[in-house]
Amino acid sequence: MKTDALIESLAREAGPVRPLPAPMRRVWGWLAIALAFALAMVWAIGPRPDLAERLVEARFLLEQGAALATAITAALAALALTMPDAARFWRWLPVVPAGAWLATLGLGCLRDWAQMGPAGLRITADPECFGYIALIGSLPLLVLVLMLRRGAPLRPSWTLALAALAAAAIGNFALRLFHTQDAALMVLIWQVGAVALIAAIAGLCGRQVLRWPGVAA
Amino acid sequence: MPTATEGAPRGGSAESRHAALDNLMRAAQQGDRRAYHALLEEVALRMRRLVSARAPWLGQADVEDIVQDVLLSLHTARATWDPARPFMPWIAAIARNRLTDHARRYKRRQAFDAAASDLAEVFSTTPGQTHAEGVVNLISVRRAMSDLSPGERRAFEMVRLREMSLSEAAEEGGTTVGAIKVAVHRASRKLKQAINRDGKEG
Repeated sequence: MKTDALIESLAREAGPVRPLPAPMRRVWGWLAIALAFALAMVWAIGPRPDLAERLVEARFLLEQGAALATAITAALAALALTMPDAARFWRWLPVVPAGAWLATLGLGCLRDWAQMGPAGLRITADPECFGYIALIGSLPLLVLVLMLRRGAPLRPSWTLALAALAAAAIGNFALRLFHTQDAALMVLIWQVGAVALIAAIAGLCGRQVLRWPGVAA
Repeated sequence: MPTATEGAPRGGSAESRHAALDNLMRAAQQGDRRAYHALLEEVALRMRRLVSARAPWLGQADVEDIVQDVLLSLHTARATWDPARPFMPWIAAIARNRLTDHARRYKRRQAFDAAASDLAEVFSTTPGQTHAEGVVNLISVRRAMSDLSPGERRAFEMVRLREMSLSEAAEEGGTTVGAIKVAVHRASRKLKQAINRDGKEG
């Protein structure tokens, strides 16, 4: 096709478009949907019996807060990556809460060791965490991907990895509300491990899911 | 003050040209087809000029391929432009992204190895660079080319721009492979220095 003809056809089909709001404004809509779905799943599966005790425990609140902050900032970063002139600052934002999340769990491992000795760091198989996190994260990821497809696929792999990180962090946030597992090392390996694995897999699929039109992957 | 549909003025200061593009894009987002047409033409013109200057080895069809991809991408992403912000950095980010995609495809398809990487370094904008800086680079390169010795310029043109092999270039220049290699190396170094120098001044 000649470039002039392309310009003709693009100009002819172009109607008015509403500029996308800033990521900072779009992220709250996503968060509302994601949390509503996650909490509905917690209710459906049944909250853990000791939830009331956990909700007054500083360590539990800190870990949950960090997980939630990781989800919000990762979603923000993913949205910002699809805006061509967004500042680079946004893409590094999740590093802070994700670091805090890992740090609280790392400190938790030390405390478990100090309180219980080697028994506090015992590793047993807990693979169903992956399934729950993937299940609860699925709808939030789908919604976020639909939002991201309205933007520009400038960095598809990073964008989708961050989106999956956001969704899986929501999944983990919900999992802690019904799954009775508080050993820091177990949470670190089976839950945060699952979140990281989901983000990595999504990153590999980035170019298939988010792409410019008319170009082979 | 020109109306949006009159198209971007070719003369005037850089600021007034940029402001004219902002106006065109703003009108295009509101559904003004004539403004959008003028904007696409303007972007196509700039991209064509930039790509052919940066990658002189590309055939016309390949250049048009890249130009069209940038236009399609602009079209797809047009809702991501914030009317409160300037148009140039936005389109430059999209164009840079599409050029990187194309460079990747060419590397795979035609094994452009050393020539491509060297040319990319000398001519292309580095990540984070604005369109204006890219134009400054082109001007610096052109100026630096005139500072090269005739032998260096000739060797650089044959090997880097016309993509001749070292032995072909040596044959045509009536010299040895070693001498061509040295001349190309010196020319590349001088050009890079010229760009760095001008970049720092600017």
